[in-house]
Amino acid sequence: MVSDTVSAARAELTKIATLRGVRLLTGVIVGLHVLMLAQNVSAETEAVSKITADGMIERFPGIVRPAREALVEYLATSSFQMCLFLPCIAAVIAGQEFRAGQLGTSLLAVPRRGLLIGAKTLAAGGFLLSVAAVIAAISTAFMYVTVKGWNPGLPVSADAWIAQAKFLTYAVLSGLITFAITMVARSTLVGILITAVLTVLTMSQIPAAFTPALDALVPLSAGRNLILVPEESLRLSAGPGHAMVVLVTWPLLATVTAAVALGRRDAR
Amino acid sequence: MIEAVRLTKRYGKKPAVDDVSFTVRPGRITGFLGPNGAGKSTTLRMLLGLDHPDDGTALIAGQRYRDLRHPLRTVGALLDGAGPVPERRGIDHLVWMAQSNRIPRRRAHEVLELVGLTGAARQRVKGYSLGMGQRLGIAAALLGDPEILVLDEPVNGLDPDGIRWVRNFLREYAASGRTVLLSSHLMAETAGTADDAIVIAGGRIVAHGSLDDISAGHESLESAFFALTAERGGRGGW
Ligand SMILES: Nc1ncnc2c1ncn2[C@@H]1O[C@H](COP(=O)(O)OP(=O)(O)O)[C@@H](O)[C@H]1O
Ligand SMILES: [Mg+2]
Repeated sequence: MVSDTVSAARAELTKIATLRGVRLLTGVIVGLHVLMLAQNVSAETEAVSKITADGMIERFPGIVRPAREALVEYLATSSFQMCLFLPCIAAVIAGQEFRAGQLGTSLLAVPRRGLLIGAKTLAAGGFLLSVAAVIAAISTAFMYVTVKGWNPGLPVSADAWIAQAKFLTYAVLSGLITFAITMVARSTLVGILITAVLTVLTMSQIPAAFTPALDALVPLSAGRNLILVPEESLRLSAGPGHAMVVLVTWPLLATVTAAVALGRRDAR
Repeated sequence: MIEAVRLTKRYGKKPAVDDVSFTVRPGRITGFLGPNGAGKSTTLRMLLGLDHPDDGTALIAGQRYRDLRHPLRTVGALLDGAGPVPERRGIDHLVWMAQSNRIPRRRAHEVLELVGLTGAARQRVKGYSLGMGQRLGIAAALLGDPEILVLDEPVNGLDPDGIRWVRNFLREYAASGRTVLLSSHLMAETAGTADDAIVIAGGRIVAHGSLDDISAGHESLESAFFALTAERGGRGGW
């Protein structure tokens, strides 16, 4: 059973890696990340050079915060931005099955539906994790350039690792939500559209206008709750523990739905 | 050995496959014949677990297809609506399939060589001609060196050379004691290949036996088919 899962997941990884669309999209996202960070380097470096003797930084005009906390948060949020685009990779990976009868071939090769979904989820999760790790590494490198004159150890401090781990967790789990939704919808486009709607829910703060409890159930809001540090100007809708529960429940339910749908429907 | 027992599939109210039962024995080539829309593809897709029957069961080597552990090593299939992603290269398509069933990678190159696609291995499937796509499908079916071959219209799009190659290859395959089931709507071509035939029309089996038995009492095999399928109101397209 374990060896069957391993071989099925390995095949799914090959499928991911041999799809030009996935490689292209991954390249574009990583490139975009580098570009955005490069744009900010000088402003951030200047803010770091003006850190006060008691360790306060003013990254945005008028907002003075403890430098260490603010910079570690910046490390995570700069990567976190890319989570707007990472789910597109997941949607393309999942959506390939519904082109040209690929799903039929997949089910001929791995007819046990649960095994196939498990292998696909493992492979997609692994791929997302590796892309997210590259993004995190790039953020770390830029952070080092920014803070090396003040505290060169900051990018590899325990706080920084925790922030990175939270980002990686969110990147993988949110990607898997889109992955499973796309498997259910049987279309890359619909998968991306539903993800966009979920994103807009957080951005527009519509659920939050009713009650923070509702907002806290939306994946991107849970991501914010997990990664950002609450402060005066930023109220979060729930704590990080609650956010983790939300972020595990979404992909779990979506994946189970995808497995059930795959088991019941004809392979088309 | 392949067994279909009372397979039924409806789209809406209309049965596409209606109470279909048959067995396919090893060591012979069995033709699955019928006009376009007769229900051949639907039957084969149910046999291999891609479509759910509304009724009945299908067994392959005594098991449901989905209960086979490394199915590609037991059954090779070329089916309607089960193909490669056009953007992927031919070789990559075969490699992932091989990995999923723990088939050695070199086998992917072997089957490409066998169907004469070695030169196009690194080309995207998008750029393949109809015949090349068909060859890739046959290569995929042969990947696991299976005991059983199920091929839906395998010679569609092949040139005469390709057709002859498939015919000879399948003859040898069956002669070594393996099971071959191939569907076709082309009588003449099947008459020269198959030993047995199952004839389907309008979703129902109208004849099942050796080619000789089926054509007995008719001028030719072809006229036997016309007579058999006309009764069921086949929609033409022979
Ligand atoms: N996915 C589908 N939805 C609705 N009708 C279908 C579907 N697939 C096949 N059919 C119908 O079922 C019948 C049998 O089709 P098929 O099995 O493809 O025939 P054949 O392979 O013998 O040409 C046809 O009338 C066809 O229109
Ligand atoms: Mg057909």
